[in-house]
Amino acid sequence: MKRGLVVLDPTEIPADEWRGRVAAVQRELAASGIDVALVYGDVSRSDDIAYLTNLCVYWNEGVLAVPAQGDPVFLTKLSPRVHPWMRLVSTVAEIRSGRSFAELVGKFLGPGDGGTVGLIDAGLWPGAVVAEIHRALAGWEVRPLTGLVRTLRQVPSPTELTLLRRAAASLTETAAVAAAPGLSDGERIAVAERELRGDGYLDVMARTSRTADGVTSVQITGQYRYLWLHASRLADPGSTAWPHALRRAIATAVAATAPGVTTADLDAAAQPALAELPAGATADVRWVYHADMATNGEYADDPAGQPVPEGAVVIVEIDVRMADGTHATVAETVLAAGDGPVCLTGRPNLAAPGDPVR
Amino acid sequence: MTANHDGPRALDDTADAAEQNLRLGRVRAAMAAAGLDALLAFAPAWRRENVRYFTDARLSGTASFVLLTVDGPERGSAFSTRRADLDAIVGRGWVTDAHQLSVHAPSALTEGLLAAGPKRLGIAHYELLPGLLLSRLGKTLPGTEIVSATRLMDDIRLVKSDWEIARMRHAANVVDAGWKAFVDVLRPGLPEHGIVAAVEAAIKELGAEDNFMLIASGGDEVRGMTAPSPRVLQRGDMVRTELTPQLNGYWLQICRSAVVGRASDAQRRSFDLFNEAVEAGIAAVHPGVTAHEVARAQNDVFRARGLGEYCTSQYTRVRGHGHGLHIDETPIIEGNETELPENAVFIIHPNTYTPIAGYHVLGDPVRVTQDGAEVLITTERKLFEGAVR
Repeated sequence: MKRGLVVLDPTEIPADEWRGRVAAVQRELAASGIDVALVYGDVSRSDDIAYLTNLCVYWNEGVLAVPAQGDPVFLTKLSPRVHPWMRLVSTVAEIRSGRSFAELVGKFLGPGDGGTVGLIDAGLWPGAVVAEIHRALAGWEVRPLTGLVRTLRQVPSPTELTLLRRAAASLTETAAVAAAPGLSDGERIAVAERELRGDGYLDVMARTSRTADGVTSVQITGQYRYLWLHASRLADPGSTAWPHALRRAIATAVAATAPGVTTADLDAAAQPALAELPAGATADVRWVYHADMATNGEYADDPAGQPVPEGAVVIVEIDVRMADGTHATVAETVLAAGDGPVCLTGRPNLAAPGDPVR
Repeated sequence: MTANHDGPRALDDTADAAEQNLRLGRVRAAMAAAGLDALLAFAPAWRRENVRYFTDARLSGTASFVLLTVDGPERGSAFSTRRADLDAIVGRGWVTDAHQLSVHAPSALTEGLLAAGPKRLGIAHYELLPGLLLSRLGKTLPGTEIVSATRLMDDIRLVKSDWEIARMRHAANVVDAGWKAFVDVLRPGLPEHGIVAAVEAAIKELGAEDNFMLIASGGDEVRGMTAPSPRVLQRGDMVRTELTPQLNGYWLQICRSAVVGRASDAQRRSFDLFNEAVEAGIAAVHPGVTAHEVARAQNDVFRARGLGEYCTSQYTRVRGHGHGLHIDETPIIEGNETELPENAVFIIHPNTYTPIAGYHVLGDPVRVTQDGAEVLITTERKLFEGAVR
């Protein structure tokens, strides 16, 4: 849960960049004839709002109103008592609390002559909230919009990449310790929590799973500021051969993560090594934008046939389901740079000798 | 992808089987009373309590569901956006028919609904269901009346079974260990997020699945708790927290404050006031007491000292809240006339700001017993002092 450090640090992301993000959305609104865009978030998925404001929706739900001109306003069901803290850790100056989003949006837009309100990522809004807003905004056109903020988040800026590299260094070191031989599941998870939250991660989700032959997958997902990283490592492989094959598979998939590749390309790269998995095992090879990790990509448009854009940071993952239903998972966070993939969470011993992973 | 067995799998544990039968009986009785042919429990990532109630499985999918019909003998069907959840569900054995779901192409779910063919469908957490799924359900079942079943499930989960109380007692052990870790790590120079890191590590090592935690440090200027900041502790600070581990699905909270070093007289006076309010709240508990009455008993302690304004929404939120598979069940607040029967579980916490020593946090989770309240944790209710030289 989002119980780690929340901080707004202008040395990390300068004020101009924050303003530029809102301006980019406003240009899209102006081009589409939208007067006000509304961005929905809840405690589990509010990265669009954080990207535009650094607001942390640490509980419940919130809506960010972005007018085509002017500053965003945050609408929340949380008490006004938290407004001072929200202003302290965000770029938002105006915050309004109320009992329902329909009431809040209605008051924010006022009785005027009407106009056009756009709901960003409209299909992912709670349908009941959308219906309430429609009822509350008589005289306004309410138009569904695509996930345009999510799209902006897919390719990190240079400042975001600096933060991702810093966070990745912490995750790489932590994952190595958490996957050390002989630890209990609880000890592995405790390592992840202690080290990553101590290094300023906002959220840490560490899990373990074990195959029948005793190989443990240590899966660590973390959010640093509003940016996501993920690494999954195999521990206690013993003398079994397949974990080494799976490590080779992820190394080759990572090495193939160049701009323009698709899931099919990554799968093809991993297949020679995956052929060495135990009989009956099935492997899913996939990539997910780091920007979609709040939902593990499950609410994103299916990227299976889409090419990885240049400069995107993505999670490359291979999930193996053994014949008995147990799982083994390996994953890395990768920058699809124009001059080749950079494994942000890579370890020196991840790739086999000669593999082109930096 | 689908995971299932040919028929209902024998549950390993007769207590588990009895618990599941109890739940299914309660839910189907409530469905019949509400005129529901089918119930769809929806779990977004932050509200999984109802799907957990049916599956007893720890899930991680962004969206998961359980579909139950009112008169079917079966245990229902489960759906999740995450493949690993299907094995978790079937492996637990409470639901043996599980399907992977795409929110953009939810045919597994719509086919299940078509087969059930309800005239009236209740959706638990209808209010949170993404519009793209809600519209698909409407198109799939054009003649079906779709209503919210959120309150129906909230009411069912209010009273805990002995099986659930046993799980919450286990959670209480981790709550106590979490607070000990909190006090042990306090020292001048430690940032707030360093405290959280130590506590999270301690409770996760003991098996906690998750934790809800707010924190504040400082003097009498502190007005409330938030997520942690980089502020570093200073000697004399009071550090406040509500710490809420989740074990085997069940959340349980402790509210305490600790001083870095020796407590001041004002901090002790503040503790005495809040402790009296907690005790008043506990003393008010009996089967059938309302949430309003428990809140009023706490607030009256402040009012009697001319501090009633600090019980208002300007300074605080609630005087406690229910616990269970959701962290924040019925609110303990004046005006909430919800009755709290025997085996309801909630925390009594009069947390608020006063000018005495700033925001103070103190509270214990209790179970309503036949003749009063049982405090579920063993941590002493006192003003703790950490890093004492």
